[in-house]
Amino acid sequence: MAGTDAGVDAGGGALRLHDYALSGTGYKVRLLLSMLDIAAERIEVDFYPAAEHRGDAFLALNPLGQLPVLQHGDLVLRDSKAILIYLASLHDARGDWWPVGDAVRTAQTVQWLAFADELTATAGRARLIEGFFYPGDLPTLRRRAHECLRILDRHLWFAERAGHGWLVAGSRPTLADLACFACVALSEEGGVMHEDYPAIRRWCDRVGRLPGFVSMPGVFPPGPGPDRGPDRDGVPSPVPTS
Amino acid sequence: MIDPESARSLWFPIAAGTDLAARHVFHARLLGRELAVWRADDGHPNAWENRCLHRGVRLTIGINDGAELVCRYHGWRYANRTAECTYIPAHPADAPARTVCNTRYPLIERHGLLWCAEAPGPATSLPELPDELSLTMRAIPVAAPLAAVRTALIELGAVHDGKQLHGAIGEVLYLLQPVDASRTVIRGLLRPAADRSRDERTDRAATANATAYGAADEALLLEHDERLERLRRAIEADPARRHDPDDWPVVAPLVAASLATMPEPGAEGRAAPLRLRVGSMVRTADGSVLEIDLLPLDADAHLPGATPGAHIDLHLPNGLVRQYSLANAPGQTDRYRIGVLREPVSTGGSAWLFERLRTGDVLAASVPRNGFALRRDAVDTLLIAGGIGITALASMTMTLQRGGHAYRLCYLARSAEHFALMDRLAPLGDALECLSGLDAAASRAVIAERLGPYREAHHVYVCGPTGLIGCVRELAAELGWPDEAVHFEHFGNAAPLDTRGAFQVRLARSGLNLTVPDGQTLLQTLREHGVPVPSSCEQGACGTCRVAVLDGQPDHRDVYLNAAERKRGDCLMSCVSRASSAALTLDL
Repeated sequence: MAGTDAGVDAGGGALRLHDYALSGTGYKVRLLLSMLDIAAERIEVDFYPAAEHRGDAFLALNPLGQLPVLQHGDLVLRDSKAILIYLASLHDARGDWWPVGDAVRTAQTVQWLAFADELTATAGRARLIEGFFYPGDLPTLRRRAHECLRILDRHLWFAERAGHGWLVAGSRPTLADLACFACVALSEEGGVMHEDYPAIRRWCDRVGRLPGFVSMPGVFPPGPGPDRGPDRDGVPSPVPTS
Repeated sequence: MIDPESARSLWFPIAAGTDLAARHVFHARLLGRELAVWRADDGHPNAWENRCLHRGVRLTIGINDGAELVCRYHGWRYANRTAECTYIPAHPADAPARTVCNTRYPLIERHGLLWCAEAPGPATSLPELPDELSLTMRAIPVAAPLAAVRTALIELGAVHDGKQLHGAIGEVLYLLQPVDASRTVIRGLLRPAADRSRDERTDRAATANATAYGAADEALLLEHDERLERLRRAIEADPARRHDPDDWPVVAPLVAASLATMPEPGAEGRAAPLRLRVGSMVRTADGSVLEIDLLPLDADAHLPGATPGAHIDLHLPNGLVRQYSLANAPGQTDRYRIGVLREPVSTGGSAWLFERLRTGDVLAASVPRNGFALRRDAVDTLLIAGGIGITALASMTMTLQRGGHAYRLCYLARSAEHFALMDRLAPLGDALECLSGLDAAASRAVIAERLGPYREAHHVYVCGPTGLIGCVRELAAELGWPDEAVHFEHFGNAAPLDTRGAFQVRLARSGLNLTVPDGQTLLQTLREHGVPVPSSCEQGACGTCRVAVLDGQPDHRDVYLNAAERKRGDCLMSCVSRASSAALTLDL
C-alpha cells in the first residue's frame, strides 16, 4: 500500500481503506490488495483503546461502527465481503478471485464468504475478548468456533484428495480462501487452537505461499515451499494427491 | 480405560503419511505429549518433542526448510534425523555443542500411517495389518476418553481382535490414538475400489476404469467419514461418555545423569567412539587426492551430524591419528566424505591411506568437531580454498547455497588437473571460480582483488597451505578487514612441539595446583591428574583442546587463534601452548 497520491482508478479517484492494524476483517482486504498489487491509502482507525470506530467521524462512514470501510470517490463501502468483491471485480481481469463467469463457483464463493463471517462471529469474537477485553461467553464462542473449524477441516481434507486444496474447487484460490484464512490464522489468539485440524494447517501453508501474501501480527507465514516459490503462473504447485 | 504408563510402550498411529506434506510441520499429540512431526526432503519423517530447547516455543509453528526445522522465535536450527542443533543465530561464530539436541521419538511409517511409541518395550511390536487396506480415512478427533470411544465402536459392531486398540466393522479397520486423557482420534483403513472390484472379477478394463475407481474411493471415504462423524456427535452429546478423567501426567524425559553431574575425572584421550566402513574410494586431482566415503557399519544407521567446517579424527591401524575435514552436504548423515592429499613426504597418514586402505575396511573415528564454524548472518561470504583445503569449504558452500546466502568460492590449485571434489562443486555455477597454475605473486594479486576493501558484515574463510593462509590474513589486514571477519583453518602446525621449561597451573574449578614439568605438555599433565580435556590434532591447529585462562600470561604456540584472540590472552590451546608468566589460572 502506498501513500496518498497513489491508487488512482477509472472508477473514481484514489482508494482509501479505513482499517486497524490488528483487525482480522481488515486483514482480508489487505491480503487481496497485496495479492492484486493494488495501491490504496490506509487510514488507521484507533479501534483500541480509543474506540474511534464508535466516534462520530467513523459512524458517518459506517453507522454499524465496523471496520473496514473502503472509499472510492463518492462510493463508501462497508463489509469486507462487499469490499473484496468490488476490488476483485475491478482489478482481477481473469476472474480468478471472484469467478463470476461460473454460476456454481460464484455461489460457492459467496457460501464460504458467509462462513468466514460465522468464523468472525465466533473465533473472532473470542479473540476480541482475549485481546481487547470485550464482553462475551468465551467457552460457548470457542465451542462454536471449533464446530466451524471441524467443518472447514473436513471440507479441505476432501479438497486435497480432489487435487486442488482450495475452498472452491478449481486450480486457483478465490476470495473465500482469503476471507476464511484471515479468521482462521488469528483464531489461536482467541484460544481456538488448530491442533485437531491438520488439513486446515496445510491449507494455511498454501495460502501463506501465494504470491503477494502479507502477514500481520499474530500470523506466522510459512517458509518457502518445496518448489521454492511460485511457478510461472504465479500459483504454487497443487497439493500432492497420493 | 487404558493405563497411560503402560501405553507408553505401545505403538499408536499419530498421523497419515499424507499428513506430512512437503515443507510442513504436523502437530500431533500422543498420551498427552505434544509432538512436532515433519518430513525432510529426503523423505525421512521425524517426531520430536514440540518444544524448542531454547525458550520452549512450539516447533509446530516453526519452518521446515527441507533439511532442518527452524524455530520461529530465535531461529535455532535442528537437523533432520539427529535433531541436533546445527546453528544458533545469536552465536553465529560458534558451532553449537553436540549435547544441544532435541528429544526424538521412535516413528515408523507403515500401512500409510505414521506409528509412534514413546518408549517401545522389547515385547511390543506394530500390529500386523493386511496390506490391502491401503486407503486411509480422514482422522476423526473425538472429545472423549479412549475407553468411551472404544465402547461406542463396539456398540456400532466393531469386532476386536483382543489387542484392545483396534478393531474392524465390516471392511473397515479402526485404530485409536489416545491424544490425552479426554481426547481420542479415530483413524480408519479401507480397501481401495480397484482392489475390491478385482475380487469381484468385474475388472473388464481395469486401466480405463482408473477414474471410476478414484470416484468410488472418494464415495467410500465420504460414506465412512459420515458414519464416524455421526458416531462422534453421539459420543460427544452423551455427558456420561464425555466424562473427563484426571489429566494424564506428561512424563518429561529424565535429565541424563551425565548432564546433572560433573564428568567423572579420567585420563580421557582422543576418544574414537565411531566405527566407519570404507565405502567408495575415488582418486581425483590427477591421482593426488583420494576421496573416501566413510559409512556406518549398519547400512540403515545414521552418523552423528556434522556442521559445515567440521572435521573428524581417523585412528589408523598404524597407530597414527589424523584429522580430516568433512565435505558433507547439509544434513547428510548417511556417510562422511573426506578428501586426502597424498603428501610427497608423508609422515605415515596419507601414505597408509593411499597404499593400504581398501573398500570394506573398518576404521575408528571421533565424532565430528568444529573449530571452523560457518556464520550464516554475513552479507557476503568469500571462501578461498587452496588445494585440499577445499574439503571444509565445500561443505560450507553447499550450506550457503542451500540457505540462499550470498557467497563466492575461489579455488586455487597447482594445475587444471588438480581440482578435487568437483562432483560436489559443479552445482555451484557462477559462484565457483577455479584458478590454476598461478605463481605466488599472481595468487596474491587475485586474492587482493577478490577481497577488496573491507565492508561491514562481510566474512572470508580460508583453508589451504600455510603460505596461502598467511597471504590472505596479511592482505585482509592491509585492506582493513578486522580479525573477527577473517576465518582460517590450518592443516597442521609446522612448528615442532617445544616442551622446554616448567610452569605452574592452578585449576580454579577443581582446586588443583599442578606443575607442568619440562618435557611435558599442559594437556598431558592435566590428563595425568585426571582432568579430562578433549583434543583432536594435538598440534595446535584444530581448536578442540581450547581452555579458558582466568589469570596469567599464556605463551601461544598454536596456529588456531587469531591475533586479537592471542592478545586477549583469555584462552589457550592446551596441547601446545605454555606460560610466559610463572603461573596460569585455568577455568578447569
